[in-house]
Amino acid sequence: MDREIFERRLIVLLTVVAGLLGILALRLWQIQIVQGDYFLRLSEENRLRVTSITAPRGLVVDARGRPIVVNRPAFTVALLRMELRRPAQEIPVVARLLGMDPAEVEQKLAQAQGRPFEPVRLRRDVPKAVIAAIEESRMDLPGVLVEVEPVREYPYHDLAAHLLGYLGEVSDRDLRVLHLPGTESGELIGKDGIERTYDRYLRGRNGEIQAEVDALGRPFRTLGTVPAVAGDTVVLGLNLDVQRAAEAGLGDRLGAVVAMDPRTGAVVAFVSHPAFDPNLFSAGIKAGAWNGLLKDPRQPLIDRALQGGYPTGSVFKIVTASAALELGLVNPQSRFYCPGFYNLGGHVFHDHEAHGNLNFLDAIAESCNVVFWTVSRPVGPVHLAEFARMYGLGQVTGMDLPQESPGVMPDPAWKERTYHQPWYAGDTLNTAVGQGYVLGTPLQVARMLAAIANGGTLVTPHAVTEIRSPDGRVRARIEPPSTGRLRLSAQTLAVLQTGLAAVVSRGTAASIQMPGLAVAGKTGTAESSHGKPFAWFAGYAPADDPRLVVVAMVENAGFGAEFAAPIVQRVLQVAFEIPPAGAPHP
Amino acid sequence: MNTVTPPRARAQRLMRNLDWPLLGATCALVAFGLVMVYSTTRSGPHPLMFIRSQLLHLVLGVLIGIVILAVDYRSFAAGARALYVINLLLLAAVLVLGHTSLGAQRWISLGPLGQFQPSEFAKLAIVITLAKHLADRPGPYRSITDLAPFLGHIALPMFLIFRQPDLGTALVYGAIVAGMLYAGGARRRDLAGLAAGAALLSPVFWHVLKEYQRRRLLVFLDPSLDPLGSGYGIIQSKIAVGSGMLWGKGLFAGTQNVLQFVPEHHTDFIFSVIGEEVGFVGAVVLLALFFIWLARGLAIAAQARDRFGGLAAVGIVSMVAFHVFVNVGMTVGIMPITGIPLPFISYGGSALMTMLWATAFLLNIGMRRQKILF
Repeated sequence: MDREIFERRLIVLLTVVAGLLGILALRLWQIQIVQGDYFLRLSEENRLRVTSITAPRGLVVDARGRPIVVNRPAFTVALLRMELRRPAQEIPVVARLLGMDPAEVEQKLAQAQGRPFEPVRLRRDVPKAVIAAIEESRMDLPGVLVEVEPVREYPYHDLAAHLLGYLGEVSDRDLRVLHLPGTESGELIGKDGIERTYDRYLRGRNGEIQAEVDALGRPFRTLGTVPAVAGDTVVLGLNLDVQRAAEAGLGDRLGAVVAMDPRTGAVVAFVSHPAFDPNLFSAGIKAGAWNGLLKDPRQPLIDRALQGGYPTGSVFKIVTASAALELGLVNPQSRFYCPGFYNLGGHVFHDHEAHGNLNFLDAIAESCNVVFWTVSRPVGPVHLAEFARMYGLGQVTGMDLPQESPGVMPDPAWKERTYHQPWYAGDTLNTAVGQGYVLGTPLQVARMLAAIANGGTLVTPHAVTEIRSPDGRVRARIEPPSTGRLRLSAQTLAVLQTGLAAVVSRGTAASIQMPGLAVAGKTGTAESSHGKPFAWFAGYAPADDPRLVVVAMVENAGFGAEFAAPIVQRVLQVAFEIPPAGAPHP
Repeated sequence: MNTVTPPRARAQRLMRNLDWPLLGATCALVAFGLVMVYSTTRSGPHPLMFIRSQLLHLVLGVLIGIVILAVDYRSFAAGARALYVINLLLLAAVLVLGHTSLGAQRWISLGPLGQFQPSEFAKLAIVITLAKHLADRPGPYRSITDLAPFLGHIALPMFLIFRQPDLGTALVYGAIVAGMLYAGGARRRDLAGLAAGAALLSPVFWHVLKEYQRRRLLVFLDPSLDPLGSGYGIIQSKIAVGSGMLWGKGLFAGTQNVLQFVPEHHTDFIFSVIGEEVGFVGAVVLLALFFIWLARGLAIAAQARDRFGGLAAVGIVSMVAFHVFVNVGMTVGIMPITGIPLPFISYGGSALMTMLWATAFLLNIGMRRQKILF
C-alpha cells in the first residue's frame, strides 16, 4: 500500500475529527454560555408537571342493575414538596386549612420521601369552603394542588357492607409486598369485600395530564392528556329488595342472614350485623373512626356470615340424618320412643320435650334430640365428620370474599390433636345435634341446604355474577364450578327433602307457613356458654322447585323457630310475593 | 525470520509500546461515565441497580479486553471469515428471537445473564472483517466498481440491522465504511459518487423507516411539530444542557435530570445531564478526552505495522468519532435523534464492552507496531 497517501489521509481524518469536536464545543458555547441564562430561566420556570387522573372505579350494581356503589366528584388537596419555598411556615398553614395536625402532614410527606416530585395527597373529599380558602391563599402556597377526584360512595351506607367491603390507601409497603401494576402510593384500592376481590376489574386505568406550569405552579399549557379509563361494572347476584328485607328482618340484633340461589350459588342477600358504613373509608378513614370500629365490643368489622364460627345446633341433624340413612341404620318409618331424655352410662342428656312415640321422619320434623342421640351412637364420630365434610362443613366454601373461616368439624383425631384428649361418647352425642366442638358459618350452612335443595350439588357461593365494561358489554360471567356432589342415594336425598318440608308443614317451624309458597328447612337452637342460645333457621323455597336458600342466625336470642325462622319468612315473602310478578331474583 | 526472543523481554517491549495516553483517556472516560450513570439513575426505587450492572459489564469487558490485548491482532485477521459468519448469524438471531424494547428488536435474552445487543458487537466485527478484506484487495481502486466488493461486504449486516430496526447503528456502518475506504485509498470522486448515490436512495429508505423514526427526523427539522414526543426530548435536552452554563449545577444537582424531563437520560441522552451538572467546562473536558482518544487512535493507525492493523484502527476511530458527534449533536439540537449511545459513558453493557474491546484492539495494534527485531 501507499504508505504516504495513507498517512496524508490520516491527517485529513484527524482534521475532520478535530473539526467535528470543535463544532460540538462551539455549539456548547452557544447554548451554555451565550444563551445559558435563557435556558436556566426556562429550566427553573418552565416546569412540566405530570398529574395523574384517577380513574373512576367501576360501579357495583345489584342483580337488577340498580347501582349499589357509585362515585361522586370531590376535591382532593395534594402537596408538591419541591415547590414549597418555606416548608416550615407553609406546612402548618396548609394543615390548619385542612383541619389536620401539622405532624400528620409531615408524616404523609415523609412516607413519600423518595419521590419529591410526585404530589402527595393530604386529604380527600375536602369541603368546598376549604377549597375556596386555599384558592384565596394561592399566592402563598405554591406547592398546594387541588384536584378533582372521584370519591367512592355507598348510597345505602351499611347495607351489605361486609360483602361490598371498603377502600384504603396503598402504602409504600403494600406496593413492595403486593404485585400491583400501575398503582401509585396513596391511591385507594379495595381492602375488603368485593372491592378487594374484584379490585383489578373495578379500578380502571389512571390517566395523566402533562402540563407546563408557571412559577406559581399553575398549569398554563396542557401538552397532552391520556384519559383515564373507568373501571368495569361489577354485577352482583344481590337483590336490593331481598337484601333490605333481610336487614330489616334481623333488625338491630347481632347475627347474619344469607340468601343464595341453590342452583348457581349466586348470593342474593348477605347480612352481617352490626355493620359499618364503608363511606367512612372512602376518603381515607380517620384514625379515631378506625379505632372506634376496632374497639367496638359488638365487633362490626367481623363478617358473621363468612368468618363467624357458630355451633349450628339442630341444623346439623341434616348431617346426622344423612349418615344414619345412608349407612342403612334407619329408614323414614323406623320407630322410636322419646321419653324426653337420653341416658348415657348414668349421665342424663335432656331433650327440650318428651316426644313420645315417633318415626324418623317425625324426628326430623320435631327435631327430637333423643332420636338423633340414639342413632349417633352406631353412626359414630368418624362417619359423622365424614358426612359433615361431604356437605362442606369444616372447609371454606370458596366464596369470592377475602378471609373466609373454615369453621370446625371435630372428630377423634382432631380432638387428640387440638386438646390432647380422647373422644368421649358424650362428644358424639353433642356433635350429632350440632353442639360441642362443631362450628359452622351461616354461609356453610346455606351451601349445605343448597346441596339438598338442588339435588346434591355442592355449589360455590359467589357474590358477583358478571363483569361488564362501562358501556355495558359483558366482559366475564362469574360461574365458579361446583366443588363436588353429595355421595347420597336418591332415596336418602328424597327423605331429607321430605323431612325438611315436614319441619315447616307440621313441625318446629310451622309458624312460618305462607299461603302459596311451600317452604322446607330446619330450625336450630344452639346452646351458648354465655347467654341465650343462638337461633338458627336454614330453609329453601319453593320446596318442590327450590330457587332460594335462606339462612338466618341470631346470636344469643333463643329458639330458632321463634327468632330466626321469621327472618327467613320475611326474606322469602319479599323474594317470592311482594314483587307482583312473583319472580324471585334474576 | 525472527530470532527467538525470551518471553519476558518480549512482554516488556510490548508493555513499553503500550499507548499510555490512549489507556489513560479510556480510564478517564469510563470513570466519567460511571459517575454520570450513577447521577442519572440513583433517584429510582433501586438506586444501585444500574450502576451495579454497569460495573459488572465493566469488569467483564476489561477481562475479555485483556485477552484481546494478549493475542496478536493479526490472529483476528486469520479468523475474519469465521467472525463475519458468526456476526451474521447473531444479527439474524436477533430478528428471530429478539426481545422488543421501545418498538425495536435489538436484544437477545441470555436468561439470568441479562440481555445482549449483537448490533453493538457487530460494529467491531465489521471493522475487523472489512479491514482484512481491504488488506486482501489492496487496490489501487480505479473506479466505483473496484469498491463494490467492500460495499457488498457490509450490505448484508447493515440490512439486518436496519430491519431491527436500528437506523442509528446502520448509519454507524456507513461512517465506518466511509472512513476505512477513504484511508484505504479510494478516490475522492468515487467516495463523493457513493455519497450522492446514498442521498438519491434516501427516499427509498424513508419508506422503509418506521413511523417513529420518520417522526424523529421531521421533528429534528421542526421540534414544535411534536412538543410532547420526540420534539419534547430535543427541547428539554437543550434546556438541560444550556441551563448548566459555565460550571454546571453541580453533580447530582441537575433539576432536569432528577425531574426526568429528559427521556432516556441514562442512555442516549446522558450528555444532556453532563451538560447540566458539570457545565461547559465539564463538557469540554469530556470532548477533550474524546479528542485524545481519537487522535491516539489515528496515531496508532499511522504507525501500524501492516495495512490490516492501520485500517482496523481507522475503522475504530471512525466508529467512535461518529458516535460522539451524532450523540452529543443530538442532545444539543444539531443532529436528529437516532438513538446511538455515547461511547464509554452511556448506560448499556453491550455498548460499554464493545468500546472496551475496541480500545483493547487499538492498543494491540499499537503495541505490536514494530517488527520483532533487535
